[in-house]
Amino acid sequence: MSDPVTDPASPAARTHERGRLSLAPLGGSIAEAWSELRVHKLRVLLSLIGIAVAVAALTAVLAIGEYQRQFTIEQSDRSGGRVATLGISASTTTGAPVDGEAMDAHFDRVAERYNFSHTTRVADGAQLPVQLTQGVMQLPARLVDPDYGVMHRLQTIEGRYFIAGDEQLMAPAVVISEALWDMIGRTPLAQHPTLTMTGNFAGTYLVIGVLPRDGVWDTTPRVDMLYDAYFDRVGALSENTFVVREVWVPPEMVSELAPMLAADLRAGLPTDTTISVDRRDWASLPGNAEANLVFQLVSGAIAFIVLLLGGLGLVNIQLVAMRQRIREIGVRRSFGASSARIFTSVLLESVVATTVAGLVGILIVVLAARLPLITETVFAGIQDIPPFPFTAALAGLLASVFVGALAGLLPALTALRVKVIDAIRY
Amino acid sequence: MTLASLRDVAKSVLLPDDTRLQILQSITLDVEVGDHIAIVGRSGSGKTTLLNILGLLDTPTAGEVVFGDRATHTLRTGTLDRTRGANVGFVFQQFNLLAGRTALENVEMPLGYATGSMFWNRRAIATAMLERVGLGHRLTSLPDRLSGGEQQRVAIARALVRRPRLILADEPTGALDVETGASVMSLLDEVATETGAALVTITHDLHVAARARRHYRLEAGALQPISLEGAFAQSTHALPLATDAVTNVATVTGSATSAHQGRHS
Repeated sequence: MSDPVTDPASPAARTHERGRLSLAPLGGSIAEAWSELRVHKLRVLLSLIGIAVAVAALTAVLAIGEYQRQFTIEQSDRSGGRVATLGISASTTTGAPVDGEAMDAHFDRVAERYNFSHTTRVADGAQLPVQLTQGVMQLPARLVDPDYGVMHRLQTIEGRYFIAGDEQLMAPAVVISEALWDMIGRTPLAQHPTLTMTGNFAGTYLVIGVLPRDGVWDTTPRVDMLYDAYFDRVGALSENTFVVREVWVPPEMVSELAPMLAADLRAGLPTDTTISVDRRDWASLPGNAEANLVFQLVSGAIAFIVLLLGGLGLVNIQLVAMRQRIREIGVRRSFGASSARIFTSVLLESVVATTVAGLVGILIVVLAARLPLITETVFAGIQDIPPFPFTAALAGLLASVFVGALAGLLPALTALRVKVIDAIRY
Repeated sequence: MTLASLRDVAKSVLLPDDTRLQILQSITLDVEVGDHIAIVGRSGSGKTTLLNILGLLDTPTAGEVVFGDRATHTLRTGTLDRTRGANVGFVFQQFNLLAGRTALENVEMPLGYATGSMFWNRRAIATAMLERVGLGHRLTSLPDRLSGGEQQRVAIARALVRRPRLILADEPTGALDVETGASVMSLLDEVATETGAALVTITHDLHVAARARRHYRLEAGALQPISLEGAFAQSTHALPLATDAVTNVATVTGSATSAHQGRHS
């Protein structure tokens, strides 16, 4: 009658069963948890709305933080260059001006070996006499090379920024700020508006692009001109103009490259000339990253508290429901469910529920992030709208699993204490 | 071969006023493989406690319970739960079906605690079992849509679906009318015999008890073998029984098999 292995009561069968790794208990627990949720749809649904909203809030905050970071990066890129931008400046210990042409030639010789993909000279502090309706005005000018636009992620609202070859144009090209464009009547670029300058710069300049305002406060009329075009006209920079040469290097190599480049540039220069090589991009400024982190931590903490409150609601409802389920637990126990199995099932019930709710919340935020209304307001000013940040979605998911485990713990412990014989009489 | 045995089992509980209530005392009972036992007794005589101890749901305060070849007090609770799941099937008076679950889901439930092919094929096994108890057409019905007799048949299917070697029925017909009760008991008998499971039934009803081969009365916590003939004679509710049943129940273990076969032939 009884085979020692197939006979489940025999020690041999028990050893046999224990020796084999089985997925059945876990699969069974998940199936049980899911069926439990299905049976108590309304109760679960009501308690989960709060969780879904909280997870949505948490995910949204993290995502906004991520977008904010992107926005900050873009803003910093416009001023300091992309990651990683090195700024090279030369000065003399005597205070005498550095010979620009000699310096350029020296740099080109050194740079040949490095094969930089993008380099530009940047000179701030120059002024250009521009003829406007109210008379000639000295407008601040920025003198750059064509790579500057790419290196600083510049985006024009009309036309384009400089590209290689613009220095060959018959009428020299300029890019103007939106404020200046307003002053010349916002003539569409298709009609080829021009600027007229006087003095050393006498002539007509073709406006090829308009840069947007940095914000509503930005009312400065500015002109961007190619460094070479400026230099051809005046032969020298004014004394208060400071030139920095920027190179765009791979971020992973920057710490290695910078000292090497500095050493190479210093070699062969007159002793009174000093060279400094510094990072200019946002990543070299820890303040930005810290500010962003603080924003994310504070808003994330608020969302997490909301999530915990939602979890508390779930605990409450699960605990009340547990009273009604004592008999069910007793019946399950009498059919072979171990107390550990009951504990796991009740715990998983909460986890499965909050995970599903969390997924719904995350989905809502991901979809909302694609709505034109949102993209136009929240992302106004971002050039590259990044894909929905995976880290935010992952954090939302982990938070919902965590809160589910937390909310399930108390009911699961209650279920553990159920006495089978009392439960089936109940 | 002995499947389960109680040796000098006693059970007492401590009451709130610090007195001890003796529920069972010095009970010795051997349940053989394929055995068929009925235990009658008044309400409060400790029948359910006895059944719970036999089904490994409760532990005695004294004495020893041996299941298979092992004394249960040596087993850890997890092992005890697994042993119970694999070897014991319960049929309750109030059916105790899981509310909100279909008949099929109810019958599948014990298979969820099994391992191997029993676990992975649980739907097919449960369906076959429900078909066996004549409920193949009510697979997706919820318990509150089933009649009492149907609910108890679902409960029987649930008790038998893991092919237990011991079925414990606690007043299985207590909530059913006489006719439905009789058909449910016939079914329980049949299926238990088919699977070779031992059946221990607790009942008030002498007619239900008469289906068993061995009969005991539990009175004031003590278990006594009885002859049903005498019990029927004493009972004011006694109805005339088929003569063969009455004669058969009078004989105890020795001729039990032939009596059992005789009843089903």
